[in-house]
Amino acid sequence: MSTSYVAVGWNRQKKIYDWLIFGFCFVYLSIFVLLSLIFNGEITFETLLIRSSSTLAVLLLHVILAIGPLCRLNKNFLPLLYNRRHLGVTMFSLALLHGGFSIFQFHSLSNTNPFVSLFISNTNYDSLAAFPFQALGFFALVIFFLMAITSHDFWLHNLSPKVWKTLHMFVYLAYFLVLMHVMFGVIHYERNPVFVIIIFAGAVILVALHLLAGIKERRFDNRKFNLIKGGFVYVCSVDELENSRAKIFCLGKERIAVFRHESKIYAIHNVCKHQGGPLGEGKIIDGCITCPWHGYQYLPHNGQSPPPFKEKVSTYDVKVINDVVWLNPKPYPEGMERSGASLTIDNHE
Amino acid sequence: MIAVAIIFAMQQKKFSTSRFEFGQLTEVKGIYHQFPVPSIKVTTKQDFFGHSTYITIPLVGYGKFGAEGTIAELEKEKNILLDKMEVTLKGTLLYSDGKTLLQIDKNENPLIGVNAGKTYSPPVIKELGILHLTGEILDPKCYLGVMKPGSGKPHRDCAIRCIEGGMSPVLWVRTDKGETSYYLILDKNGKKMGDELKDYIADPVAVEARAVQYDDWTILFLNGKDKIRRTGGLSWFKTKDGDIHCSPPPKINNAN
Repeated sequence: MSTSYVAVGWNRQKKIYDWLIFGFCFVYLSIFVLLSLIFNGEITFETLLIRSSSTLAVLLLHVILAIGPLCRLNKNFLPLLYNRRHLGVTMFSLALLHGGFSIFQFHSLSNTNPFVSLFISNTNYDSLAAFPFQALGFFALVIFFLMAITSHDFWLHNLSPKVWKTLHMFVYLAYFLVLMHVMFGVIHYERNPVFVIIIFAGAVILVALHLLAGIKERRFDNRKFNLIKGGFVYVCSVDELENSRAKIFCLGKERIAVFRHESKIYAIHNVCKHQGGPLGEGKIIDGCITCPWHGYQYLPHNGQSPPPFKEKVSTYDVKVINDVVWLNPKPYPEGMERSGASLTIDNHE
Repeated sequence: MIAVAIIFAMQQKKFSTSRFEFGQLTEVKGIYHQFPVPSIKVTTKQDFFGHSTYITIPLVGYGKFGAEGTIAELEKEKNILLDKMEVTLKGTLLYSDGKTLLQIDKNENPLIGVNAGKTYSPPVIKELGILHLTGEILDPKCYLGVMKPGSGKPHRDCAIRCIEGGMSPVLWVRTDKGETSYYLILDKNGKKMGDELKDYIADPVAVEARAVQYDDWTILFLNGKDKIRRTGGLSWFKTKDGDIHCSPPPKINNAN
């Protein structure tokens, strides 16, 4: 959230997060290499490199894909979301090591360009048993590459959030390609069913998490608000709003965050302009509504980011009558100032 | 997560004890043969009665290439035909399961010496008739030394590159008892096969071919692509490695 771009805006949380990623990768690779050497002493360096990097990359991919739905199901997972892009870039680096070395190992020093060989050596695209699995892995790697190089906020702003998000949703296609790459590739050689079980379990867990998160969100969005007076909708009582916190309501297919701050009630659009985070799940810090995902901030009375930042969200009218909060779901233009509803006696009817 | 690392590491299939003496050059002296595949026949010892034991070491080139190119260059350079001559070659050995290959690299000046005066002994040839075998076609260099694994689907593309680069394809056959045999594959005219076998490499295949014993290697003369077929099926549903195994050969056909 800065006016000039730096490669990484380091802070304490990011450093801790990255050290944890490094530590996890180091432990995983150490265990994998050590046990492989002990229990399979004939393994070569090349095979060890290819397998250790690939298995760790696939594992990290599962973690990355699980973070989103986990955060929607339980806010305790939010710290994992904060620096998820670093996880993604780490996963891509491992995948690149695996893919790059594999292309060198299996396709170089031959009578054909390695990248051409990747597609023309095995051309059994019409056979499941003999399907050219390496091509699937290559396309997955291309998607991960595009995601990694656009992971910085510079691209988020210059591609527009919508385009950026669309590009990054291709991670699901990449995941599918990786699954097929494994199932049509090494699983044909490693016939131990434990590998199939692990891969299958990983996919089932991810699907289940996404479904559960989706069901929860859908239930939330389908909640009916039937009490309407003069364009305002009854949403909750004042007592339900904690100070410096919000409740989120879905009206007319839009989520609106209603905050309580310094004896006033304000309402802004729930979606953060950065990466679509739920502003209503954040809190007010130093007078600014703070997104729980990456810390982007907005002033509650006008939905604008504090200067020199330029992000804006829509604002809404809100009333308090007899300790009951009424919300007008019609949005004002982004950044328009609204006075909010006072909690003093004067505003009670 | 750590459990996943442990499971993945410990449940991998065991690798073979094949060896590739990378970085180590060995001098090998023997009779060079162009047919059936470029190879050097090395006499290992002679008994009291003068009977020799020998080993035939097929030659392979650097990278994913056969040795023909290197041999041709050496012949041109020395202005001599090496076939049936005693030569001393320097190269990198690779071996496994009783079979040995020698990689020669033109950049390493592989031809140490030629002895044109050595008496040539023709190979011992024995017709074995038509064999029906089930096995896997692979490139011998990767399987017998350079790569682990050097067989199966993960290695398929590399095997295709090696065979199309001039390496002699080999049919690897395992019996139900775990015994292994290796058969060099040529076409019916004794020419090397490459692109014709592309769709069959690194997959279980059934082969019908005329077999001829050449010294300590058996050659399969494959009479066309209709004599080879993939045995098919997704490997996921095959329950044991014994799916690749040798069916007992029928009675020897002495028509040839």
